Amino acid sequence: MNKPIEIAIEDLDLGTPAALSESTVTVHIDGKAVDVPAGTSIMRAASLAGTQIPKLCATDSLDAHGSCRLCLVEVEGRKGTPASCTTPCQEGMSVKTQTPRLDKLRKGVMELYISDHPLDCLTCSANGDCELQDMAGVVGLRSVRYEEGSNHLDAGKDNSNPYFSFDASKCIVCSRCVRACSEVQGTFALTIAARGFESKVSPSEENAFLDSECVSCGACVQACPTATLQEKQVIDLGVPTRKVKTTCAYCGVGCSFVAELRGDELVRMVPDKQGGANAGHSCVKGRFAWGYATHSDRITRPMVRETTDSEWREVEWPEAIAFAADRFKAIQQKHGIDALGGITSSRCTNEEVYVVQKMVRASLQTNNVDTCARVCHSPTGYGLKQTFGTSAGTQDFASVQQADVIMVIGANPTDAHPVFGSRMKRRLREGAKLIVIDPRSIDLVKSPHIKATSHLQLQPGTNVAVVNALAHVIATEGWIDEAFVQERCDVASFNAWRRFISLPENSPENLAEISGVAAETIREAAATYAKAGNSAIYYGLGVTEHSQGSTMVMAMANLAMATGNIGRDGVGINPLRGQNNVQGACDMGSFPHEFSGYRHVSDETAREQFTALWGVDLREEPGMRIPNMLDAAISGNFRGMYIQGEDIAQSDPNSQHVAAALSAMDCVVVQDLFLNETSKFAHVFLPGTSFLEKDGTFTNAERRINRVRPVVPPASGLAEWEVTCALSEAMGYTMDYANASEIMDEIAALTPTFAGVSFDLLDERGSIQWPCNEQAPEGTPIMHAQRFVRGEGQFVTTPYVPTDERSTRKFPLLLTTGRILSQYNVGAQTRRTDNTVWHAEDILEIHEADAELRGVADGDWIEVASRAGSTRMRAHISDDIPAGVVYTTFHHPVSGTNVITTDNSDWATNCPEYKVTAVEIRPSSAIAVGM
Amino acid sequence: MTFDYNQQHLIKMANQIAGNMPTRENVPAQIVQHMMQFWTPPMRADLKKIAEHTAELLSDDVLAAVAMQD
Repeated sequence: MNKPIEIAIEDLDLGTPAALSESTVTVHIDGKAVDVPAGTSIMRAASLAGTQIPKLCATDSLDAHGSCRLCLVEVEGRKGTPASCTTPCQEGMSVKTQTPRLDKLRKGVMELYISDHPLDCLTCSANGDCELQDMAGVVGLRSVRYEEGSNHLDAGKDNSNPYFSFDASKCIVCSRCVRACSEVQGTFALTIAARGFESKVSPSEENAFLDSECVSCGACVQACPTATLQEKQVIDLGVPTRKVKTTCAYCGVGCSFVAELRGDELVRMVPDKQGGANAGHSCVKGRFAWGYATHSDRITRPMVRETTDSEWREVEWPEAIAFAADRFKAIQQKHGIDALGGITSSRCTNEEVYVVQKMVRASLQTNNVDTCARVCHSPTGYGLKQTFGTSAGTQDFASVQQADVIMVIGANPTDAHPVFGSRMKRRLREGAKLIVIDPRSIDLVKSPHIKATSHLQLQPGTNVAVVNALAHVIATEGWIDEAFVQERCDVASFNAWRRFISLPENSPENLAEISGVAAETIREAAATYAKAGNSAIYYGLGVTEHSQGSTMVMAMANLAMATGNIGRDGVGINPLRGQNNVQGACDMGSFPHEFSGYRHVSDETAREQFTALWGVDLREEPGMRIPNMLDAAISGNFRGMYIQGEDIAQSDPNSQHVAAALSAMDCVVVQDLFLNETSKFAHVFLPGTSFLEKDGTFTNAERRINRVRPVVPPASGLAEWEVTCALSEAMGYTMDYANASEIMDEIAALTPTFAGVSFDLLDERGSIQWPCNEQAPEGTPIMHAQRFVRGEGQFVTTPYVPTDERSTRKFPLLLTTGRILSQYNVGAQTRRTDNTVWHAEDILEIHEADAELRGVADGDWIEVASRAGSTRMRAHISDDIPAGVVYTTFHHPVSGTNVITTDNSDWATNCPEYKVTAVEIRPSSAIAVGM
Repeated sequence: MTFDYNQQHLIKMANQIAGNMPTRENVPAQIVQHMMQFWTPPMRADLKKIAEHTAELLSDDVLAAVAMQD
């Protein structure tokens, strides 16, 4: 028996997707025996055996279509010439892929295609990168016998999309784009309109691409075998000549890409088929919105200034470093070592983050280091550590393909995590049930071929009440997985939790009025979740950014443990991280109370390890969190800050308070690509590096460590970690690394969950999910499989405590915030790309009844006021939100959404309560104001 | 006693922690443990001063927690 050869062959298109069967069949391809999983197509088996059958409509990212008729084969004992892409292998089958008869048929098919195709290969933008051209060569087509007749050569171009062009004259109607839009992306924006000779690719109802439902993910461009759908960059610059594998710098999905260049000029970013997180898919941001890296706003030279009202002065690196160090030393002498601190960035690599927190702890001699996860997923860290033992999502992304029920809480995956959203939608189209818990009707609630089984449209701020009610039903209806609880969990804590959750106060009936969700809806959702084979929870900032964010994380963990939905494929608790390296920044010791690997600074064993390697005594008391640092600045006790790649003046809540705190400092050092809002308060600007210039690693939401490789040299001349090391040196503490790989080696030496990680291993394996150590040398896709990290799963009682932020007569509406597909966070990157064609400003969504009551029409300028401040933006009347709730994004500094958010925060972590702000709306003039 | 922004925030944080502790058994001890894990020594000292001068602003559990740290 031959060994199955279903192995990954990089960059080779095997024609059809892999079959998932565990049984194998043996077929003979041109006399060569090959064993493949049952259900494998002849085309794929032939590719695996080393024979590439000509094809046009087939590609291994899409189900077989069988339309181009180029892949015909002969099967012994059968009549005709079946398409190899749609014909599955059967035991003992003998296939011929090359015969005179097949050659003639294929040449005839190609001749027909080419008879209606421009003969402009030499000047075509896809010359050298065109499957049609390749296949014409493969089949040996030398001439076209047909005389000129009806054709599509004058079909027009659609250049409406800013990133790609659609040239209908070059379309062979193979449907690969249509199928990619449906099968891979799940948007169903494309179709083949009309019939026969009139057949053509059509976005939506014959709209232009830009006006259609297209989300510009690029899957159609990727699938197109000709120059029909092509990146405008390729048309303008030419076909790339070199490639570098790297990782996207946008959301926490962490897609792998192949950066394709001509010299040092980036031509396009192509999603990597081998990418563990994205498996060849992408979204509009990662695929196309990288032009910010060379935007004219980029600052590439260091700058300093004496005061924030004086002009910036460009200086050389040594002067900038000395300036910052002198200021920091002066602050230390005058105000003490705890008057300084730093913030690490989830947009930077693990290595860059690690050296910043090391500089703060070892060089500045304080634990005043925090990270932007403070304002997003710090409750995840707290809640999952309490219940499971570590701060991490439990699954890999592929796990969703085994889920029978998917519960999405406070997340909008199709906008904020679009590539994972597509994976989730595929599973939902296959029949998994969907429960959405969200005040808004997000796209998933009802989209093509998807309809949520339950939408729990709760009042903002009542998450814990709703999940407690779900758990109450499960506990009182007898749907607890008693065996799992007894075997895997701390039984005493479970018993206490069961007593608590079974109390009448947690019943759906009791909580219906508070949450706004009917008791019957809760009961149905509880049954759906508890009775499925595999139920998985995916959540976002709609969970964490509340006064009870940490409680809510623990409530979800309780729910999963009580129903046995932990420790295998298809289940789990999965935080969808906002930024690309939120997980990594947290892992790297960015929190003021923890070293890398989530070990408390008071842990003597851990501290001794760090002290020994770093050669310096370390503090055993926790440092200040970001809000504590800002508060202390206003009080005059905190005077200087190193801010790596964050724009707290725009992204953090209660912007006026942040501005006052930054203004009170003697030295603010900003390390960034652009002069952002925070830099208005800075004295030193240290130019950062874009992801295309970085060398290091990102860790995505599934704990997958991916390599970030330098595609072009740093525009500023230095890597960011080199700048941090230089400042540390100037402050008197040397951090000596020859390259980023050495930093990872140090991380591995000091962080048990990273013990086996190295650049060499990552280069060899592509990516790896932590823990990666002696116990798990190949990483850990699914956590808590045999036992929880903390040993037994810990149940925690989760009483619902209403937030202080409530609607009042003065502020009767509740504002909640979120993101949109085309923009990213504070927009520093995406606002500097053509993505602004989709979202040029923040818009306030308001229910029709609330708008009418206030005399607001769609598109009107309005003033939004809270107890913290007010701002202006345009209104959009929407039925996605219930009456009494309004919604907006925070991508644009001009609208300054965080001017109105308050300083309420999570009780355990101080994560801001962005998701609940009491506001009032009134019509306004058209003058937009900033902060 | 007047409070600066920092101290006002500490009062709110402490009361919020007390009100959200998962189990209602021995809440002061839980508050102490939380503060030892996440608060800096100056923050704890500030809270103690607040408790000494304006106890009425802090919940009974917070006051008991402050007393336990003496």
